[in-house]
Amino acid sequence: MATALAVAGGYQDTGRDAGRELRRIVRINEEIKSIVATAFKINLMAMNAIFLAKRAGQSALGFGVLSNELRRFATDLQRQMGALREAIYSSASTVTEVVKESRVLRILERARRESQGPGRAILDDHLRRRLADREADARQARVNALDRRLRQMLADTTQLVELGSVLARSAKIEAAYGGGFNTALMQVSSDFEQTIAEIQRSLENLARR
Amino acid sequence: MKKTEVIFEEGSHKWYAIVRDPSRPDYLIDTNEYLVTVGDEALLLDPGGSEIFPAVFSAVSAQFDPRKIDRVFASHQDPDIASSLSMWLEFNPELKCYISWLWTSFVPHFGGNKDTFIPIPDQGMDIQLGGVRLQAIPAHYLHSSGNFHLYDPKAKILFSGDVGAALLPPTESGLFVEDFDRHIRHAEGFHKRWMGSDRAKRDWCARVSRLDIQMLCPQHGAIYRGADVGRFIDWFSHLEVGSLGT
Repeated sequence: MATALAVAGGYQDTGRDAGRELRRIVRINEEIKSIVATAFKINLMAMNAIFLAKRAGQSALGFGVLSNELRRFATDLQRQMGALREAIYSSASTVTEVVKESRVLRILERARRESQGPGRAILDDHLRRRLADREADARQARVNALDRRLRQMLADTTQLVELGSVLARSAKIEAAYGGGFNTALMQVSSDFEQTIAEIQRSLENLARR
Repeated sequence: MKKTEVIFEEGSHKWYAIVRDPSRPDYLIDTNEYLVTVGDEALLLDPGGSEIFPAVFSAVSAQFDPRKIDRVFASHQDPDIASSLSMWLEFNPELKCYISWLWTSFVPHFGGNKDTFIPIPDQGMDIQLGGVRLQAIPAHYLHSSGNFHLYDPKAKILFSGDVGAALLPPTESGLFVEDFDRHIRHAEGFHKRWMGSDRAKRDWCARVSRLDIQMLCPQHGAIYRGADVGRFIDWFSHLEVGSLGT
């Protein structure tokens, strides 16, 4: 029956899409793991920078303020990454359902092709009822909504990291006024800049996925 | 497509063997499924893996309304035995699966829920099908630690799961064992490697020797009948199992 065949064909496409989506989610999750590790590194670096600024005293007041801000940025970034991870988990479980569903339908369609007589009629009827079932559509809508949410969260994270980049650049300028601590402060602020650039590259990778 | 052969028939009491799938990909082991019917009641034995579901479904539906299959018997938990469970549940969500109690929380990973499984206690149990009383016979550690065979005293058939299995070359596709000595060479390596316990093997041989068996139906390979049943039990009782076969 052409209709049942078309339905099953449609589910096969959905299955392939869902499979791709699942692989994309895995790749995003791996990238998030590396950003979380880097954010933790920034947090430690900021703490050291705060101590250094305290030792430098009056000449590194501005640097100290920026180090505090960078520490807050690292904490915000870690929190944001935690939320992204939760969103990824929700997406993975929904997409897994779609993958499972499309596998069942692929097998049913193969059974339909191989069956004759009453067996084929039973499968035609079963696949037709599947068409009437809106649950699959609802599941796909949930996948799309989760994907939109994920993209929005990534955009928010990019904005947050842009702020971190500005803070790191400002810290570099403030380091120039560090008197005797000038070289050490410059080294720390360059490290901030490089580490945040690493995160930006990871986010660019995420945006491409 | 798989072949369906009636191997026993007495009134409405029938045993169907669903065997040999020439279109099966060569990376999948070939399996036999059996359907026991009494009137409108049906029990599917080791329904098979999900990848071969289309072949089994089409073969079964040519003989029997698959929607009427409301019970399956799984000898153990392997994927080639029970991973098609979710597909059979598509047609009958109320379907029940008899399986060793050991696996009732493992096999739901293939499909089903807490209401799907009927746990078989270690000592076995009777399963009533129409007016026929079938018996789940313990075969633990052969090869699975929670393993059952199914005996039909009326048909004198023992469904023996992996015991008696042979990995046959494509040239030997007969339904029944015709030349025991020739056939058993294809069973030897399998039994040595898959069957892990000599004690369990001896227990099983003693247990089934007390049954009146006309046909011993394994999940892989050809069916033993008549004198070959006794020959097989004797051969198995002398075989050293649980070895790597080196």
